Amino acid sequence: MRAFLLRRALHAVFVLWGVVTAVFFLVRLTGDPTPFLVDQSATQQEIAEARRSLGLDRALHVQYLDFLRSVPRGDFGTSIREKRPAMQMVLEHLWPATVELAAAALVLSTILAIPLGVASATHRNGAVDHASRLASLFLQSMPSFWLGLMLILLFAVELGGLLPAFGSGSLRHLILPAVTLAAAPLAQNVRLIRSGMLEVLQQDYVRTARAKGLAERFVIYRHALRNAAIPVITVTGLSLGFMLSGAVIIETVFSWPGMGRLIVQAVPGRDFPVIQAGVFVFALIFVGLNLIVDLLYTVVDPRVRLT
Amino acid sequence: MIRHTRSLILPLLLVWPLAAAAQPATLPRTVDGVAIDADAELVVALADDTNNMDPRIGMGSIRSNYIRQVFESLVDVDSHGRPVPGLALSWKPVGELTWEFALRRGVSFHDGEPFNADTVLFNLDRFFRRNFDKWGLKDVLAATSFEKTYPFVTRWEKVDDYTVRVHTSESAPTLWDFIGREPMVPKAYTLKNGVDGLNERPIGTGPWKMVEWKRKTSMVFERNDAYWGTQPLFRKMRFQTIPEGAARIAALRAGQVGLIEGVPPFDAPALAQDSKLRVVSSPQKLSCRLYLNARPKDKYDSGGKDGLFADQRVRLALNLAVNKDAIVKKIFNGYALANASPVASVSYGYAAQEGYPYDPARARALLAEAGFRDSNPLTLQLLFPAKHYGQSFDEMTPAVAEMLKDVGVQVTLKPVDFATLLQTASKGTLPPNGGFAACRTGNNLDADDYLRDWAAIAMINWAPYPPELMTLYTATRREVDAQKRLKLLADLQRQVRDWAPVVALYQEVKVYALSARVLRFAPLPELNMDFRGVAVKR
Repeated sequence: MRAFLLRRALHAVFVLWGVVTAVFFLVRLTGDPTPFLVDQSATQQEIAEARRSLGLDRALHVQYLDFLRSVPRGDFGTSIREKRPAMQMVLEHLWPATVELAAAALVLSTILAIPLGVASATHRNGAVDHASRLASLFLQSMPSFWLGLMLILLFAVELGGLLPAFGSGSLRHLILPAVTLAAAPLAQNVRLIRSGMLEVLQQDYVRTARAKGLAERFVIYRHALRNAAIPVITVTGLSLGFMLSGAVIIETVFSWPGMGRLIVQAVPGRDFPVIQAGVFVFALIFVGLNLIVDLLYTVVDPRVRLT
Repeated sequence: MIRHTRSLILPLLLVWPLAAAAQPATLPRTVDGVAIDADAELVVALADDTNNMDPRIGMGSIRSNYIRQVFESLVDVDSHGRPVPGLALSWKPVGELTWEFALRRGVSFHDGEPFNADTVLFNLDRFFRRNFDKWGLKDVLAATSFEKTYPFVTRWEKVDDYTVRVHTSESAPTLWDFIGREPMVPKAYTLKNGVDGLNERPIGTGPWKMVEWKRKTSMVFERNDAYWGTQPLFRKMRFQTIPEGAARIAALRAGQVGLIEGVPPFDAPALAQDSKLRVVSSPQKLSCRLYLNARPKDKYDSGGKDGLFADQRVRLALNLAVNKDAIVKKIFNGYALANASPVASVSYGYAAQEGYPYDPARARALLAEAGFRDSNPLTLQLLFPAKHYGQSFDEMTPAVAEMLKDVGVQVTLKPVDFATLLQTASKGTLPPNGGFAACRTGNNLDADDYLRDWAAIAMINWAPYPPELMTLYTATRREVDAQKRLKLLADLQRQVRDWAPVVALYQEVKVYALSARVLRFAPLPELNMDFRGVAVKR
C-alpha cells in the first residue's frame, strides 16, 4: 500500500506539472489581456505600457520559469482584473460555496439513488421500475439551466417565496441549486445501480445467500449492493469532480458564488493568474478523487489489492 | 427584496442616544403623500459584480454602478444627464488657459476626513501620475492615462481651502468634464491604506457607505446620514449579483429583490402589466456601430493596402443599406434609438441629425459609383463579439449582415470572443476589407468624448478624420465660449454624419423593472443608478 501511495504521489506531481505547463502556454496562445485594461481610445503605446506593467513583455520562457518557481509556494500571481492574489480568490470560491453545493448534491444523488435503483431492480418491469426509469430519463435529459429556472418559478414565485430564488448562506438557499445539480448524477446512479443489481442478483452467491434463509433485505443490501456499487463509486468520483469544478450553469442561474463561474469569467477576461490557479485546483481535486476512488475499491471489494 | 429592519427593544434603548445623534434631522415620513419605510432595505439585482472599487482602475459600465454609490465627482448629473454641481459648487474658465473650481464646504468622507482643496490636488496628482514619490503612492494600471490623453494640462494649484485652479498649455473647454467627472478619493485614507484599502474598504463622500462586500455575490451599503445632499430615504441597500436575466425577473416577481436592471426588451411589456411592478427606461450613452477599415495603409498592419472602406460613398452606402427602424422595432421592441449623430443623444453638445434613410437602391447605386458591382462585389469580413453585449446585439448583427448582402456586399460573419476583437482592433490587424460590430460608451458628459473617436489612431478609430474635419474638431477643442462651441459641435456632428465613419446602428435604452413600492426611482442616462431621494413605501 505504501509503495502504491508513493507511486501515485509521484504520478500526481507529474500530472500537476503537465497541467500547469499546458495551461500556462495555452492561455497565452489565446492572446493578450491588456486591451481590457485600457480605455477604448488607448493608443498602441499605452497598450504596450500596460503590457510592460504586467510583465507580459518578457520572453515567454522567462515568464514560465518565474511561474514554475512560484507554483510550489502556492503563488499564482495577482489577478489582472481584481488585483488580488489569484489562489486566494479561487480558494474563497472553493470553500465554502463550491464544496457545500457539491457535497449536498453528492449526498442527494447517492442517498436517493440507492433505494430507487434497488427498488427498480427488485421490482423489474413493475410500476416502481417503470416510474424510476422514466424519472431517470427525464432528469438526465433535462438541461440544468431549464430545470433550475423551473424550480425557481415554482418554489420562489408560484409558491409565494417558499424557497429563495438566489443566493447562498443557509440551508434554504442550498436546496434548489443542490437539487438541480444532483438531478443528472442521481438519474445516472439509479440506472447504474439498477443494471448492476440486476446482474448481481443472478449470481450464485446471491442464490446461496437466499438458500441459507437470509432475510431478503440482508441479501440485497449486504451481499448484492456492495458488488453492484463498484461502478457507482467510479462514476461518483468523476461526478464529484465535475460538481466541484463545473457547476457553472447552476452557479449562474442561482447566483451561487462558486469556483466554476469565477474561472469561466476569467477565461474571456484573459485573467491568466486566476485561470492558472483555478485549473491547478481542479487538477488537484481530480487527482485526489481518483486516488480516493482507488482506495475505496479495496474497502468495497476486499479482492482488490493495490500494488 | 424590500425588508423592514426589526430591532429588539433593549438594544434599541441602549443605542438610542447614538442612533438619534446619527439620524439626519430632515428625513420626511411621506413621499407624494405616501407613508415610507425609512428603515427598509432595498435589494437591487445586477448582472455582475465589480472587480474593483478604486475609481482610478476604471469606470466601465459595471464598475460605475458600484463606485458612484460611494464616491462622488466635482461635477454631478441630473436625471436628464445635464451637469449639475457635485463636490464643486461651480466651475469656470479664468482666462484662456485656466479653469477654476469652487468647492463645496462642509463635506466629509465617510471616515470624517474633510473634503477640500488638498483632496482635489491629491486626486489630480493621482490622475496625472505626478508626485508619486512625494506621496509614497503605488501606481495603478488605469484605464484612462490622463497624462497622455490630456497632455496640455500643465499644473494645478490651491487658491484657498475651497478653490482650485487647473492650468493648461492650450485652451481646454472640456476640462470641467474630464476632470470634473472623475470620482474623488480621500487623501489621508488613501495614503494610509493604499490602493488595497480603496478597493477593499472604499471611503467616499457619497450617499452610501459600503459596509460589506462578498465578491461575485453582493455588496451592502448603508445610508450616509452625514451626506451633504439629498439622501436616499431608506436605510440599507444591497446590490445582488444575479447574472441570468430570467433569474433576475423571477427574483423580482417573487418579491426577493426590489429592482432589477437589464430587462430583456421583450419581457418588459409583460412585467409592466403586473400591478405590483413598474418598468422604467432611459437612453444610455452606449452607441453600437459597425466599424469599417478606412485607415490608410501606413496606419495599420496593412500589407501595403489601404482600407477598403476609405471611400466615403462606400460607407454611406452601407448606412443606407441598414434598416435601423426595423432593428429598433423588431429586435429591441422599441427599447433602442436610431441615432445618426456620432454623439449619444444624452451627451452635452448633442445635435440631432437627419437619419440615414433605408434606401437599398441608392446604396447599390453608390456602391456602383465606387466601382463595386455584381462582377466586382464589395467584400466585408465582419468580426462579431458574440455573447458580450447581450442577446439583442447577437440577434442584430446577423440581421445587419443579411441587409448588407441584399445590396450586393459579400459579408463573411466571423464570431469571435470579445478579447480577440479587442486585440485585433488594438494591434491594428484587421484585413483591408475588415470591420467589426461593437458598442462604445463613456463616463464623460461632453460631446467631445465621442467626437475624439476619429482624431488619433486608437482601438476604435478605423476612419481617421480627413484634414478639414480634423481642423473643425480642433476648433471645438479650442473654443472656450460655450455658445460658439455648441455651434461648432453641431457643425462637426453634421459633417461627421455626412462623412459616415461608421455604420451607426443603434443607441441603447436601458430597461429597469422595480417593485411598485419603490418610489421616485428615475433611471439616469449614465452608467450608474442614483438612489438619492428614492423611497420605499411602507
